[in-house]
Amino acid sequence: MRTRVRAGESSAFAELFDSYARAVYNHAFRLTADWSVAEDVMAATFLEAWRLRDRVDAEGGSLRPWLLGIATNTARNQYRSNRRYRAAANAAAAAELSVPDHADEVADRVDDRHRLTLALSALAKLRRPEREVVTLCLGEGLDYEAAALALGIPVGTVASRLSRARKKLRAHAEDAAARPAAGTPYEKVRGNREGGRPARQTRGDHTSVIRPAQEGHR
Amino acid sequence: MNANTPRPHPADTDRSTSELLSGTARDLPSGRHEFHKERLMAQIHDMQRAERTATPAPAQKRRLRLPRPAIALPLTAVAVAAAVVAGVWQTGSGGVRDSGVATGPALTTRIGTATTKGVPQLIDRISLAAADTSHPDVKPGQFVYIESKTANSFVKHVGDKSSLASHALHTRQVWKSADGTEGWLIDPAVNDSPEGETLSLPDEQGNTPEATLNAPSFDYLATLTTDPDKLLAKIYKETEGMGNTPDQQAFTTIGDLLIESYPPAELYPALFKAAAKIPGVVVVDDAVDAVGRHGIAVARLDETSGEREEWIFDRKTHVFLGERSVQVRKVSTGTDALITPGTVLFTNAIMQRAVVDGMKQTPSQAG
Repeated sequence: MRTRVRAGESSAFAELFDSYARAVYNHAFRLTADWSVAEDVMAATFLEAWRLRDRVDAEGGSLRPWLLGIATNTARNQYRSNRRYRAAANAAAAAELSVPDHADEVADRVDDRHRLTLALSALAKLRRPEREVVTLCLGEGLDYEAAALALGIPVGTVASRLSRARKKLRAHAEDAAARPAAGTPYEKVRGNREGGRPARQTRGDHTSVIRPAQEGHR
Repeated sequence: MNANTPRPHPADTDRSTSELLSGTARDLPSGRHEFHKERLMAQIHDMQRAERTATPAPAQKRRLRLPRPAIALPLTAVAVAAAVVAGVWQTGSGGVRDSGVATGPALTTRIGTATTKGVPQLIDRISLAAADTSHPDVKPGQFVYIESKTANSFVKHVGDKSSLASHALHTRQVWKSADGTEGWLIDPAVNDSPEGETLSLPDEQGNTPEATLNAPSFDYLATLTTDPDKLLAKIYKETEGMGNTPDQQAFTTIGDLLIESYPPAELYPALFKAAAKIPGVVVVDDAVDAVGRHGIAVARLDETSGEREEWIFDRKTHVFLGERSVQVRKVSTGTDALITPGTVLFTNAIMQRAVVDGMKQTPSQAG
């Protein structure tokens, strides 16, 4: 697979897309808090992967961490500031809950929505670098080494960011639990629910940041 | 690796954080996966083309400068080489015997000029000629017999080396019963033994596939509408999602019906009229069928693969002679890059189409 990707075979990219589009899409959503932006990020990620194909190492395991790393960088360009992320997360949470609960809607789906809004409000409490580590390790289940390679940072940094993030998330969860059960665990959104316009996307300015990721143990 | 690295372990992650993101996974909205995939493939295709034109010369950006000799020379060399290759018609002879047919060097040809001018007029004449041919009915127990001459080029892999090779021109004979459940094929490029193999159903897995546009029986073709618009709509609908583009797939589907089926007399002209309605169909001034008969062609370029499928008709009588697929545009993906423009990927000439009374019986035997 890696050799085919390096050679730029379009069929290899078709297979990559089929295998990992969903993972990239979900990862992008956790980083952008906006399903439609996530879709854009996903599309941009695979295009960027094609451009960066010659940086893939010939040896190594799945290309999923590599793609997730590219997605992280692409998403980062969507939201340069954390304030925008919070706005988007709140807007998304509000949108999820404002959908009327149809009688025929399965209870699972309602639960899903609540879990989603909880996750978003928690992620919004984190700083961006922490959020990236959390989404990679907890959201997509990468181990520390893979996450470090995907982000182009030392393994130790991944570990420390993750532990700091865990602490914050725990505090947030306790905070949410302490509130009255009837209340929603986030504040009511006033004003514009759409969030700010994303900053104009700068393409190609992050190409040197990402390095090919390798999974597995050496 | 680093033994001190703390690893996330289900036991040490507390509930609140490990389950936090469990509800955030969703599928893409329906249809979006295919949409983005198709768009990605198109973008990759475009970038490949851009890279191809950019690799020999970043000259596109500094267009003001004169092309440097280092760039101009190879380009001229390529042009000269193309000119040398042009007009050469090689059917490989000799070579290694492989699956019963001699393999040889790739087949090449001169690429005819395509124009959109005169497509409707040509199709009109072809349809008229097609309507003129008397197609006998196929009665139960009878077989459609099609004899053609065919050759094709392919990328051959020996070890980790790839080269372009071809199956030399050979005869292909197919028998199919009216309902499509019985058949016989003799094609040395396909069969292991000279007596051919059965096409009768059910197949090895015990399936009896129903006749479709891509695997039509005479009976099935007889049920198709002869209204060109409705016919084309049906073709698009049934081939949805197949091939590189819907338009190309529709064109190819009709092309396949032309070379290896015996369409009923009413359907035959309708097929051509339907094809004329597909966007991108052109007329090619000169094309050669597998046995060297020159003619005029109705063709369509597959933008994705750079191949042009040409249906070749006699210039005067407008009778269908055969079909071929020619690489007209360069591709750079992997081993496909070996297929240079001018390569004939597939060529076929219809020698005989008849209705016979038995399998493995040829019209001459029937007397």
